[in-house]
Amino acid sequence: MARYAMILDTRRCIGCESCTVACRVGNKLPIDMIYNPVTTVGPTGTFPHVHMLHYPLLCMHCENPPCVSACPTGASQQAQDGIVWVEETKCIGCKACVQACPYHARHPNHVTGTVYKCDFCADRVRQGLEPHCVKTCHQRARIFGDLDDPGSEVYQLFNTTMTVQLLPELGTDPSVYYILSAGGQG
Amino acid sequence: MKTERTWGWPIAGYLFLGGLGGGAIIVSSAADLFLGRGGVFALGCLVTAALIALGSSLLIFELGRPAQFWRVFSTQKAIMTAGAWMLSLLIGTSFLQFTFWPDFSPWRTLIGLRQALAALNLLLGLGVCTYTGILLGSLKPRRFWNTPALPVLFLVSGLSTGVALQSLLAGFWPYAGAREAVEAVHGSLQAVDLALIVVELITLVVYVLMMRTTLGQAAERAAARWLTGSYALPFWGGVIALGLLLPLVLYALGVQVLPPLCVLTGGLILRFLVVYSDDRTFLPGEEKYLSRLPRGDEPFLKALK
Repeated sequence: MARYAMILDTRRCIGCESCTVACRVGNKLPIDMIYNPVTTVGPTGTFPHVHMLHYPLLCMHCENPPCVSACPTGASQQAQDGIVWVEETKCIGCKACVQACPYHARHPNHVTGTVYKCDFCADRVRQGLEPHCVKTCHQRARIFGDLDDPGSEVYQLFNTTMTVQLLPELGTDPSVYYILSAGGQG
Repeated sequence: MKTERTWGWPIAGYLFLGGLGGGAIIVSSAADLFLGRGGVFALGCLVTAALIALGSSLLIFELGRPAQFWRVFSTQKAIMTAGAWMLSLLIGTSFLQFTFWPDFSPWRTLIGLRQALAALNLLLGLGVCTYTGILLGSLKPRRFWNTPALPVLFLVSGLSTGVALQSLLAGFWPYAGAREAVEAVHGSLQAVDLALIVVELITLVVYVLMMRTTLGQAAERAAARWLTGSYALPFWGGVIALGLLLPLVLYALGVQVLPPLCVLTGGLILRFLVVYSDDRTFLPGEEKYLSRLPRGDEPFLKALK
């Protein structure tokens, strides 16, 4: 079974927000919803040693997803391949998952009354295509693939480069990993 | 696109009503089981059923798809599901408990059954008072909630508002017994409420102060808001002074009706402050990012509507 993961190489990300736009267009999101913002930290340090980092964010598709255990109706689910998704017909819009998510990855849709989230473009991925945000990233800062496939780029990067997860202290074990700097140091 | 509160006033209202109803039914049931004075608190059972029903309606009102609320009963593991079962049961069983008391009740002589029901309701009341604190407290990203002290605070506050409500209702219809019993009950309720107020005062102040010193900027941010920031007036003025200290003084002076009303108001304000303190640890760069999002009143958003 596949184990989908994404590696975000902040050494490559230039903060252009193409992924944000591609996601919104590709997934036909409402105007007030963003699945994958790109945040900026810095510039830090003093000239000439200044540094700036961009963090492309998205749903972390946690191995141990708090949103799924908070869901009272079973609408929030984790698929066999690790993708965390919402079965919309079962969602009642109680927003327990919104409260449970540490990554601001759950978005109430005020028109449908249900909660929306990034699903790694599951429909595309299961047809062998890349998610919209990965497809569009011209800097190749978003690397998507199957961690169980030793031939995949994501497998090789994961095993050769120092990566970090966001908020690891919460025990969610995200499937989204960040490469922070050339030396592998945060 | 502004960052809005995930849960709004209906949830705060429910937390208040749930704690109030749970606390009230605990008083009715405990008085029946251990003191043999259930009759004085019979009206409390009916009011509990109404309060819990009203609170549950607020929960349903807050849903994105209210008509689908029944799905909450369809899983086994979520705390919210357990809570929904307890609430639904308590609405029915507290009403049933009430039906044993009026003169015209055909089964008013079945004392064993009534006491079994009271025992069940005692447990349900404790459950309803506590599970909300467990539900909020189990949400790890919400740093101000994620502490074992929150269920304790909710339980103490629920009990104290429940006792306050019962001291307003004690002795009314369908109770038709001796007035001395009501007087005696008022005295002991006052003593219990005094003790609960002191415990709540300590729990609450320690809770907020500990949050000020806890690990993680989110809890600290929320606690600072309570202590010196935008919640300082409702917290110090509403919850601490009006809701806890004033009833303490008034009880000491022997005032009857006013102190319970103060306790109820304080409990309501407390629930609002708690629900609005759903602070989350910011992801790297997220604070700046959120501050730059449209706030919803921009001309281009208006043009779209």
